Amino acid sequence: MSVITYGEAIRQAYREEMRRDPNVFLMGEDVGRWGSLYRSSKGLLDEFGPEQIKDAPISEAAIAGCGVGSALMGMRPIVEIMYIDFITIAMDQIVNHAAKWHQLSNGKVKLPMVFKTQGGAGRRNSSQHSQSLENWFVGIPGLIVVMPSTPYDVKGLLKSAVRDDNPVVFIEHKSLYFDKGEVPESEYLIPLGQADVKRTGEDVTIVATSWMVGFALKAAERLAGDGISCEVIDPRTLWPLDKETIIRSVKKTGLCLVVTEAPAEGGWSGEASSVIHERCFGDLKQPVKRHCGLRTGIPYGPVLERQVVPSKDSIVEAVQELVTRGALIAV
Amino acid sequence: MSETRLQELYEEMLLLRHFDQLSMRLKLKDLIYSGYHPYEGQEAVAVGFCGALEKGDVLLSTHRPHCHAVAKGCTLEAVLTEMMGRVTGCSGGLGGGMQYLDPDHDFYCGSIVGSNLPIATGIGLAIKQQGLDRVCMCLFGDGASNTGSFHEALNLAAIWKLPIVFVCENNQFAEAMPAREFVACERISMRARGYGLEEITVDGNDVEQTRRVASELIERTRRAEGPFLVEALTYRLRGHYVGDPEKTYRAREEVDVWRQKEPLTRARKKLLQEGVDATELDAMEQAIEDKLETLREWALQQAFPTLEQATDHVYIPLAKGESTCQ
Repeated sequence: MSVITYGEAIRQAYREEMRRDPNVFLMGEDVGRWGSLYRSSKGLLDEFGPEQIKDAPISEAAIAGCGVGSALMGMRPIVEIMYIDFITIAMDQIVNHAAKWHQLSNGKVKLPMVFKTQGGAGRRNSSQHSQSLENWFVGIPGLIVVMPSTPYDVKGLLKSAVRDDNPVVFIEHKSLYFDKGEVPESEYLIPLGQADVKRTGEDVTIVATSWMVGFALKAAERLAGDGISCEVIDPRTLWPLDKETIIRSVKKTGLCLVVTEAPAEGGWSGEASSVIHERCFGDLKQPVKRHCGLRTGIPYGPVLERQVVPSKDSIVEAVQELVTRGALIAV
Repeated sequence: MSETRLQELYEEMLLLRHFDQLSMRLKLKDLIYSGYHPYEGQEAVAVGFCGALEKGDVLLSTHRPHCHAVAKGCTLEAVLTEMMGRVTGCSGGLGGGMQYLDPDHDFYCGSIVGSNLPIATGIGLAIKQQGLDRVCMCLFGDGASNTGSFHEALNLAAIWKLPIVFVCENNQFAEAMPAREFVACERISMRARGYGLEEITVDGNDVEQTRRVASELIERTRRAEGPFLVEALTYRLRGHYVGDPEKTYRAREEVDVWRQKEPLTRARKKLLQEGVDATELDAMEQAIEDKLETLREWALQQAFPTLEQATDHVYIPLAKGESTCQ
């Protein structure tokens, strides 16, 4: 094992996949000269050249469509959309074409492509550069949606996403690029659609995504000091959802908190919560509680932006409330 | 162009004209379900441009695709029954008349105006990077030339010098919006200048001209001189869809003027002037009508897709199990 950053893990995944298959290429704004906004492709232009590392103009619709067309022809594009907020310009290609063509061709056309982007708050970028828009993609049949939270996960999942023949929306988090974690020296893959139990526990299940996973783990550590044992599950892939891992945990604990940075309304957190209610109703001591970002644009500046999305402290409070209510009913 | 050549092109246009009319009749009997977009009057563009492509060249079409598809080589059976929602259609009857894919004939169309131009850049990129002897042709209308996708794609194709022939089939109407009011420049081909490309306009109702220019641009594209943007000026003789309120956007007299200039009348007149026997042309037309009647009878017998087929192929099952790479 070596300890590397999330950004370096992405770079390793690129390097390994591009060496393995010359049809794999990265295309996007400033992926070459800059090596990407958060440097996840730094140095790769020199190593792989402009055919595999393609700087593209600020034309998200064209970049996304270029990905669709090249995937149709057997290439394996990784289309980088610099901020998920800019994916609005590319939505037509993703929703109306990438997600539809396999089905419209009766399975003959495959579009092995990754729409790779990053979202979320934490870097003081305000409301047009900090959104959590993953919910949109979960609602579109034909797309796989991945949100990795650690260096180990981002590498293994990105490699799987590149090798998968479906269009994959791969959403990194801007506040995670400089986080460090252990990654094996040898090559590995993490299958899409498989959750990971990040911490085992007995009293409460916390299902958290992306940046929220780290806060959930810190909250679990704090709560352990108060005698509350939390199991933390990262679904890693939002669709298809690994329901079994979550259900197994909730059947054991009987209490569940779902934590997302995206607002709760109309979101994946509601989908996850519904699945748990449908499958674990008899085991639940309390209804599933959702703890999500507020329904607001992300405000500017370091103080307010942290107040509108869950934090370690707010997760601790939410779990305490859930446990207290659960205990009252049990009495 | 020799008389025989024009006669062949005329025959192909006749097929498309009658195919379009058959489709319109089926639409009026509610055997085609979505809005039907008639092609009448634009046949010289489909035959001239789409018909000039070789096998293996890729064609991206629009929401008015049926004649483009046939001219490219898709079978009449697959195109007609797709419009009729039958399993024998290009997309198994799941796409309908505005969006279907026929990868065996390298034909793709869709109903989002302007969206095929960005996809063309990807096809062009793959052709170029893989060193293939193929070209991509992308058809779109005057309406599409007002979308952001058009401009993004033209710029990308131009800076990367991609092997694409962009063909603006200007039928002068985007639904009910006349190009003269809704396109800021006089000729859409003028927009090519903004991307450092030649300004090329052809008479889209002259099948000899469309074929000659198409062949030339395709050859130049094969020689890595692309991309190209060409405007083929034609006229939509029917409504945007069958039964649209035409009088809200154009006068009957205007349509009458353009009907005099429509491509089949022109080609036939020229053939007759060149000494072709009218009875020969009539016999040719009768043979097409007979063939299409047989097609119609066959099409009506075809099955509809099942719910199971309609929900299949939504995504490809994922690989299982964590693994260490070998």
